[in-house]
Amino acid sequence: MSYLQTHLRELIARRSRNRTLEAPFYTDPDIFAADLDLIFGQHWIFIGVEPDVANAGDCMVIDIGRHAIIVARGEAGTLHGFHNVCRHRGARLVQTQAGSYGNIVCPYHQWTYALNGDLLYAGHMPDDFDASCHGLRKIHVRSLAGLIFVCLAATPPEDFATMERIMAPYIAPHGIANCKVAFAEDIVEHGNWKLTMENNRECYHCSSAHPELTRSIFAEGFGFAPVGAEAEAQAQRFHALVESCHTDWEQRGLPCQEIDHLDDRITGFRTERLPLEDAGESETLDTRVACKHLLGDFAEKRLGALSFWTQPNSWHHFMSDHVVCFAVFPLTSETTLLRTKWLVHKDAVAGRDYDVANLTAVWRATNRQDSELVAKAGAGVRCSGYRPGPYSPDTEGLVEKFCNWYIGRMAAGTPP
Amino acid sequence: MSEATAPQNPYTILFTVSGRTLLCPPDNFVLTAALQAGLKLPFTCRRGICGTCTARLISGEYDMKHLGGITPQEIEAGLFLPCCSKPRSNLIVEK
Repeated sequence: MSYLQTHLRELIARRSRNRTLEAPFYTDPDIFAADLDLIFGQHWIFIGVEPDVANAGDCMVIDIGRHAIIVARGEAGTLHGFHNVCRHRGARLVQTQAGSYGNIVCPYHQWTYALNGDLLYAGHMPDDFDASCHGLRKIHVRSLAGLIFVCLAATPPEDFATMERIMAPYIAPHGIANCKVAFAEDIVEHGNWKLTMENNRECYHCSSAHPELTRSIFAEGFGFAPVGAEAEAQAQRFHALVESCHTDWEQRGLPCQEIDHLDDRITGFRTERLPLEDAGESETLDTRVACKHLLGDFAEKRLGALSFWTQPNSWHHFMSDHVVCFAVFPLTSETTLLRTKWLVHKDAVAGRDYDVANLTAVWRATNRQDSELVAKAGAGVRCSGYRPGPYSPDTEGLVEKFCNWYIGRMAAGTPP
Repeated sequence: MSEATAPQNPYTILFTVSGRTLLCPPDNFVLTAALQAGLKLPFTCRRGICGTCTARLISGEYDMKHLGGITPQEIEAGLFLPCCSKPRSNLIVEK
């Protein structure tokens, strides 16, 4: 057994529940490499949305560590996933993040692949060269009601089907396939990817850090348990509102109930449809819809926000007028890419139905604030004085679920 | 000579980058005619698969039978594949 495996197994075995992880999990390049293999190489990873590859020939390219991925829309509309590596001399095939192609042609010696990965043409090869053995190496790809997930494992976790069965009725009414990406933003956060995820999984910091976001969301819906008489009264009002909204929305055919499998499944996830403050329509500065053209078949603006969280790398907010999707991609042991996409109905017209600045104001501000918090955590956990600290049982239960899921999956990938 | 076997009149193709003009009969591919005339154009598959020969058409009509080496958007933008295109008029090609 290698030094790393021994070291990693020790760190996994001695992890204390309900405390932050030991420093090497946030800083050590060897553990980062193990994260890429055991977490990002073995689980279903959210990478984008169907509108990213709306038409036949559309390709999107994602790099996750040393995993280079193409997702292509084939002629029949099927999604195909491949390694972005030519089977000839290994050159990177597609260089740009997004594009549209008839066939996929290697820029080195023009080996040419169909959108389903079959090798169509390789010049100057001998008569006995078998093209059928040199198609692009495939990656599993699935769309959950328009959200695209890939899995690099030879045998992916089977419980994706369970997540899909449970979640499709929640998400499908928002009509992701009939959306367009109105705006996308990449932020490089200066912290390990797990710090980005942990920050997403609590609203302990929301009231002080996120003045724009808390205009529309109730922190109580995000694992925040209030303390003190006034806060408890506010929480009671919130829970009464949840109850009346759920009754209304379920009559409209929209599932609402909380389902939490963050820490008891290989493909961990959680969902709940929650009311919003004031006008209650959308996560905007004025809590009203940002886009006049509503999603799906919606006629009602006040549908709150459906949240969907997935392990290890995404979260999403679905409203009556727009959707915001967040994907987390590890770059190095101490840097992380946060990719955010704002979706509106594909027939909505910028300037007429929506204003991009208004659509994106809340989450662009919130992302910047979160990015600063992640950088502060990243700067602290690399210091000699850092020791794992306790999570609040009131407000950080979902952070613990993320860490316990992570530790459990790392343990499963490093058997004794 | 009967009408059926009569050679059809070739079209004129002007390549603007090299400044070369050549003749191409309507049953020959534009790339083949160019190679026969000694032009050095990029190409690989010669079957409309790989897109290596992609060129911009400035004017003229052609008949293209490609195999996925060019997208509808590229065709709309004025590009074509000389390897699998036969002229239907005189052509001016940016190459």
